[in-house]
Amino acid sequence: MTNSKPFKRDAISQYLNALIGEFGNRIYQYRRSLAVAVVNLSFVICRLSFAASPPDPASQLRSEIDQVLSIAYSGQSSETLADRVRPLLEKDFSFELVTRQAIGPGWRQFAAGDQQKVTDLFSRLVIRIYAARVVGTQKPTITYGKTVTLTPDRCEVPTRVTAPNSDKPYAVVYRLINLPSGWRIYDVLIEGVSFVANYRAQFDDLVRRGGAAAVIKTLEAKLAEPINPNS
Amino acid sequence: MNYLIPTLLLVLTCVSGFADETNQPTPPRRGPAAAGKTKPGKSSQKTTKPATSSGDELANEPVEKVNDPWERLNHTTFRFNDSLTIHAVKPIARGYEHIVPQGVRNSLSNFFDNLDFPIRFGNNVLQGRFVRSGQEVGKFVVNTTAGIGGLFRVSDHVSSLADVPAEDFGLTLGRWGFSSGPYLVIPLLGPTTVRDLTGYAGDFALNPLNWYLIFTNYGLISRAVGYSVSASRFVVRSPGSVRTYEQMKEAAVDPYIAVRNAYLSHRAAQLEK
Repeated sequence: MTNSKPFKRDAISQYLNALIGEFGNRIYQYRRSLAVAVVNLSFVICRLSFAASPPDPASQLRSEIDQVLSIAYSGQSSETLADRVRPLLEKDFSFELVTRQAIGPGWRQFAAGDQQKVTDLFSRLVIRIYAARVVGTQKPTITYGKTVTLTPDRCEVPTRVTAPNSDKPYAVVYRLINLPSGWRIYDVLIEGVSFVANYRAQFDDLVRRGGAAAVIKTLEAKLAEPINPNS
Repeated sequence: MNYLIPTLLLVLTCVSGFADETNQPTPPRRGPAAAGKTKPGKSSQKTTKPATSSGDELANEPVEKVNDPWERLNHTTFRFNDSLTIHAVKPIARGYEHIVPQGVRNSLSNFFDNLDFPIRFGNNVLQGRFVRSGQEVGKFVVNTTAGIGGLFRVSDHVSSLADVPAEDFGLTLGRWGFSSGPYLVIPLLGPTTVRDLTGYAGDFALNPLNWYLIFTNYGLISRAVGYSVSASRFVVRSPGSVRTYEQMKEAAVDPYIAVRNAYLSHRAAQLEK
């Protein structure tokens, strides 16, 4: 009875040593593949955490505006600038929806080809005007307010913009919509004036009287006019 | 062989991760809340089911009717004002900008804004907005003292005074229940409405700087000072108004309607503040 206890202890100790030794040996043997697995696991965790946190439209807008401004205020001519900011603005804005809103209910009567043509011309006009306004090297100061929910698929981000040559800020509100392609800007309000509503009011009579042909003709004439940067 | 399983895991993770972002748009953390329940003006942290839209409801909104019964006359006045702006006001504004440096122009603009304090304060009182009246007093005191006679907008650095909406008698009439009335374009003055033109007359009377034009018991020197102040105020504000007008005109396919819509929308937004 007295000898059985040390025997048991030794047996357990030997078994554990063997197990740990074997386990340690295996760890050492497969150390490289395990290292790859650990790296991949951390990658999995990262991916899952990104998938779990949905993109916030306000922070998305902020980074998009920063990207556009860094190109815009680089001291280039407005023509060069329009070409450079176009891809960014086309990603940030839904020009198809902006144009549809600007034309209003008459849009449904336009042929598919005319809709495409009007969208193309109108987006060119908007980008051209934008490029003419942001010429220079001094960026404006932008402060962002709290995001306001409008409907489950729409929200607005209020900002206050102070131009470098002024000390009076003005209110700019970005309205975003959750389209299947992601959050896109569908309207911008400057001091309460809606960009799309302003154009809708201008196009209304034109659409009712002359349809798509009149709109296309007017936009082409507008694009042919010279524009004065920073007038 | 040792890397096969981890590599497969990596590929699967990438595929599943990207698929999650592209195929299932997720709602924002600060955005959509319960459908139809959320009032505009309140931010929400709720996360709800993904909600996407085609934007059809926005595109089909009808154009608002505008109360512009004197449109033909307004058009004529608009063309007159356009010529006046381009051929008279713009050269004055460009000359002023050429002579006076930017920093001084900003200070002079602040100075005249500060002098409009009686209008903003008086209208807040008339509307019963006593908190805002107090804020206007605070702004005036801070800008007149620390801002050296209103040359610097020191109040912008005081959080409680930084963003006080400017009130005028047109807005006061609107809050008292008067509708805007027909749209008007006035020579020199530009776009307005019947209500805002009445308000403009009220504000004019409320501003002590204009009293030399209203009361007859003013001496010659006082009148000369009064006219000088009015002329200076006009010149100081001319670059801003010319630039705004030209930018609107350049962007517009119909400048008359663009300016009318901008004026009415801006006033409606001010009334909501």
